[in-house]
Amino acid sequence: MSKVKCDHCHLEFRDEIMIHDGEYRFCCNGCQGIFHLLKDEGLESFYSKIGDTTLSPPSEAYEASSNFDTQAFHQRFVTTTKQGLSQVSLVIEGIHCAACVWLNEKALHRMEGVIEAHINYTNNKARISWDPETVKLSAIIDMIRAIGYNAFPYDASLQEVRANKERKEYYLRMAVATFATMNMMWIAVAQYAGYFTGITQEIKTILNVAEWVLATPVLFYSGWVFYRGAYYGLRNKAVTMDLLVVTGSSLAYLYSIYITLFEKGEAYFDSVAMIITFVLFGKFLEVLSRKNAADTLDIIGKHIPGEVSVIEGENIRQINVNDVKVGDLILIRTGEKAAIDGEVISGEGSFDESNLTGESEPIFKRSGDSIISGTTSIDALLHYHATKDFTHSTLSTLVNLLENSMSNKPRIEQLANRLSQHFSSTILFLAVATFWSWYFWPHSFDRSLMVGISVIIIACPCALALATPVATLVGLTLGAKRGILFKSAAQIETMAKATMVVLDKTGTITQGRPEVVRATYEAPFERSLLLSLVQSSHHPVSRGVSDYLQSSEENLSCGVIEEANEIPARGIVGRANGVMIAGGNALLMEDMGIDVDSSTDKSVFYYAVEGKLVAVFELRDLPKSGSAEAIHTLKASGLRVVMLTGDHQSAATRVAQEVGIDELYAHLTPQDKAAYVSRFHEEGHIVVMGGDGVNDLLALANADIAIAMGSGSDIAIEVSDVVLLNDSLTSLAEAHAISHRTYRLIKQNLGISLLYNTITIPLAMMGAIIPLIAAISMSFSSLLVVGNSMRSRWMYK
Amino acid sequence: MESWVVAMMLGASLFLGGIALAAFLWGIKNGQFDDEKKMMNQVMYDDEAELNDAARLQRKREASEQKKEYRPE
Repeated sequence: MSKVKCDHCHLEFRDEIMIHDGEYRFCCNGCQGIFHLLKDEGLESFYSKIGDTTLSPPSEAYEASSNFDTQAFHQRFVTTTKQGLSQVSLVIEGIHCAACVWLNEKALHRMEGVIEAHINYTNNKARISWDPETVKLSAIIDMIRAIGYNAFPYDASLQEVRANKERKEYYLRMAVATFATMNMMWIAVAQYAGYFTGITQEIKTILNVAEWVLATPVLFYSGWVFYRGAYYGLRNKAVTMDLLVVTGSSLAYLYSIYITLFEKGEAYFDSVAMIITFVLFGKFLEVLSRKNAADTLDIIGKHIPGEVSVIEGENIRQINVNDVKVGDLILIRTGEKAAIDGEVISGEGSFDESNLTGESEPIFKRSGDSIISGTTSIDALLHYHATKDFTHSTLSTLVNLLENSMSNKPRIEQLANRLSQHFSSTILFLAVATFWSWYFWPHSFDRSLMVGISVIIIACPCALALATPVATLVGLTLGAKRGILFKSAAQIETMAKATMVVLDKTGTITQGRPEVVRATYEAPFERSLLLSLVQSSHHPVSRGVSDYLQSSEENLSCGVIEEANEIPARGIVGRANGVMIAGGNALLMEDMGIDVDSSTDKSVFYYAVEGKLVAVFELRDLPKSGSAEAIHTLKASGLRVVMLTGDHQSAATRVAQEVGIDELYAHLTPQDKAAYVSRFHEEGHIVVMGGDGVNDLLALANADIAIAMGSGSDIAIEVSDVVLLNDSLTSLAEAHAISHRTYRLIKQNLGISLLYNTITIPLAMMGAIIPLIAAISMSFSSLLVVGNSMRSRWMYK
Repeated sequence: MESWVVAMMLGASLFLGGIALAAFLWGIKNGQFDDEKKMMNQVMYDDEAELNDAARLQRKREASEQKKEYRPE
């Protein structure tokens, strides 16, 4: 059978299943549509540009693009420029190659009213400006979809703009510093050669002036960040590393100007530039691995629905959540998230409350039951009365609590910061002392000043400033290779000092979905019909049974069933070959008049054919593989391990026993969990919290280190300091081990730089340091620190 | 060797280096290095059609600005 390429997406299929369209072949209507659209628009050169790249065939199911024109959407994502143009940032999905970028830009540029469309190929983000009077955003989105891509909005406002701006500023400063320092090196070569073989004062001055010219932008442009840092430090009455860098380099700079103008001695311009450049690189590494608490809060806010549907008589109106009053009648549809607390008036269906309670079972709601904001309707279409307004509803109360705990999050002071304070004040003191003793001993003012300054320069803040950033960078890479993302470098050190680990049960220790642990077949039956029946439902129990069937029987395919209806909180009833088949819980069986023993704490799925019970499946939320070992490792490294869960005591105890946790607290609300974490805190523990859902949010925010599972809710990931991409507790234990190694590396590096100083500072105080030695020792100690960090990186590969 | 030769050579080479640095900084500020993948591919999309496209965009932008100016308040 020969395979033919689709003329749009370039995927290969058998010829007979393809759509034949003249000389062209297409795999689906979507590809065909796009192909003709591009041809009509005169954009067919796209196909010669993409070469052999394959594209993903277009999807048909999109949410209505009219959502992009709503007031709420515009308030959140669209900004207006000074020229009165609207601007939005989108993520374009489906970009495979540079030609895709070209096509999108081209197609948008051709639209009437689109003023600018700029797509970043590296991260697939697009910035589009358009004239709101000529074209609507929905039309732009429709165009992107019509040519086979899709677009999502994202808020580029605070987080990104700020981070990018800071990073760019550092690039500029580093470019200047590197340029000047490298050029000074070859001038310095001439200087040092002259120092040993003789040089006329005239040439020396020329070289000094050239170095002066180069050092000036380094000190005042690139080094500006240190002046700023030293100023803020002094205002807070703290002697910082920045202050040491600034005093050392400024004094050396002034002294060197004096030397140059009065033509005596050696200038230190190259040391000035080198200090600033090295320390600037260290600081840049720090900036790269830092996260901003304020940005996190922006994102939390986005998960709250902005509008709700309110029923007024015959009409349904979308109104802002803040305008909802107690007593309003609210409509909630399948898949929507409730924003307001209330009580059901009519309709019924199940709700996913797992992100608030941690319970994986959907909860069935009918008239009279209460709706909690933050829960999601699975299949419910119902009307409910608001019993609280938005600000008093569960969801926004939770967010407020969260904001409070985020801003009060404990900070553990970092070793390097503490050390550098003492170090900086000691060095400054030594330098002044050296100057006075030389001056009174008696020496000339110049000579004493030079020796005093050489103490500061040789004290070499470079190695010290590089010690922590380089080591943490190594830790970050080690983690990233294993799917452990530390969001901020500082957290590695805190984690290394942790004394206790608090874990959530559902989704963290366990898989978060029920699995069949025992299947009993009472009578023979057709497996394929059961498979079709359970696959018609998205309920976690049905999925568990479906997974079990597929893994236990080979080559099982779906049978043909005539109908399947889901009965909320009961199960599924269907018909196959005219026979009634039903699968569900004990309640369903009772309704059908089948007698079953329902006295078990496990979830049980019964399957009946024609009113006769044929199979029983027992399901449980099992611990993830490796959980027990990981908990053992954590305990072995001296950590106290505690489990907190919203689930029942019995379920919790069983899981705890299986994975070897002795201390557990069950049946907790999100607030209780947070209270426990705070209490452990007050007992003097440094707490690491691992969780995955919204119900863990508060506890995560209260912990010293919050660890989220990569598959967890977006908000939990945002709040966390560490994200485990492969969701396993093994990674958590590994993260702890990596942080330990990194912390040891930091201590080693600090040790190296301090050792270096204890050797060179006495030499400097004796006046035995010439500029050449100062420059060499500076690079050498920095190299030692970087080399030591690299060594550990290779060792733990 | 006369020392003014050294001074002149130093001055000239630093001046040239400075121009290169200034160009590089201008590039960073302009966002030319923001998208490294696109930058490498840019040369493939650089013929007459692109030039026309850019010119048309420019006209559209000007037209939209003019429209805004003439609008009665």
